[in-house]
Amino acid sequence: MQEPITIDRSNRRLGTSPELADVCFACGTCASGCPATGLVPGWDPRKAIRAIALGLEQEVIDSKFPWVCTLCARCEYVCPMGVQLVKTLRGCRILRERDEVPGPIHKGTIMNFERGNNLGIPRDDLLFLLADLGPEMEEDEKQPCPGFYVPVDKEGANIIVTMNSKEPFAEPDDMKFWWRIFYAAKEDWTVSSTNWEGVNWGLFSGDDENWKIQVGRVLENARRLKVKTILYPE
Amino acid sequence: MAFGDHEGDKSRWIVSQCCENVAEMCDSPLNNLCCGAGGGAWAMPYTEERLAYGKHKADQITKTGAELVIAPCHNCRDQIMKGLAKEFDMGNYKETMYIWELVSESLVYEPWSEEEIKKAHAERDAQFERDGVELEELE
Repeated sequence: MQEPITIDRSNRRLGTSPELADVCFACGTCASGCPATGLVPGWDPRKAIRAIALGLEQEVIDSKFPWVCTLCARCEYVCPMGVQLVKTLRGCRILRERDEVPGPIHKGTIMNFERGNNLGIPRDDLLFLLADLGPEMEEDEKQPCPGFYVPVDKEGANIIVTMNSKEPFAEPDDMKFWWRIFYAAKEDWTVSSTNWEGVNWGLFSGDDENWKIQVGRVLENARRLKVKTILYPE
Repeated sequence: MAFGDHEGDKSRWIVSQCCENVAEMCDSPLNNLCCGAGGGAWAMPYTEERLAYGKHKADQITKTGAELVIAPCHNCRDQIMKGLAKEFDMGNYKETMYIWELVSESLVYEPWSEEEIKKAHAERDAQFERDGVELEELE
């Protein structure tokens, strides 16, 4: 016979408020609307919530379901009881040991914390790349932008723009789309030479501390350069 | 943006200003689905699950009969362009663009005046000097 499950409510880390797991009445609307249902054998949003309500938190935390889930919130939108599924499933990511976070997102988060962007691109490399792309924009055959350059650390600009490190690293031409819009609009814009990363992997890896630090840096850049509007093309 | 907040209507308006024949992915945004690469899934090692999830989106794209797919974010774009397009036959599909790429490619504008160009170059040169960026290598 299977061992009875003892529910220990006093030591719960997830679903601790009535808004979370306990109000679930197991209707399964979440699971039927979830595109990730069936992708990880044995798991769907309903089972995750039920497991948490029954005190089997660690099993959900150890499963890969919270990581295959894209946090799209379809489940939460349709839940008749208002269970906060996204917060709960992301909560499972928070409770993973950091060295067991799948893929590169934890390493990227730490790289960002230490060096200002997820891929560790040095300041001088970025500045040279941005300078190099200016003349390419000016002389573009299809849509030339004479007079274009990337304004870096421009105090008092109207808009400060974050960058996605994959672009300076691997797809630099993709930054030109936004730049051409700024050129045509004669926008007064700038980028920061440091802590310019727009990707916030702390959100995805379940690292609240670094999530907050990253957001703080974007704000700090805007304040330092006295820019009132932040454009976050993520 | 969050599911059910209808913020996507703004993106639909922008796309409709750039393209004449816009097809919806499904009957209602409340019936729509994530591309499968959200929430960090693009960077996760679970490729098989990510593509199986994205099959829903690939089917939607096929049914529209569209050649061009517009994506509102980096992860959607990579999933559709580098993930789904390689894994599934999506009918008439030819390419994926960021929504800001579509706007950029659709722009009709006048190049700046000589005076504006001169002013911008002076600002640029001052910036390069401040930051120690060598101009010779560029020219």
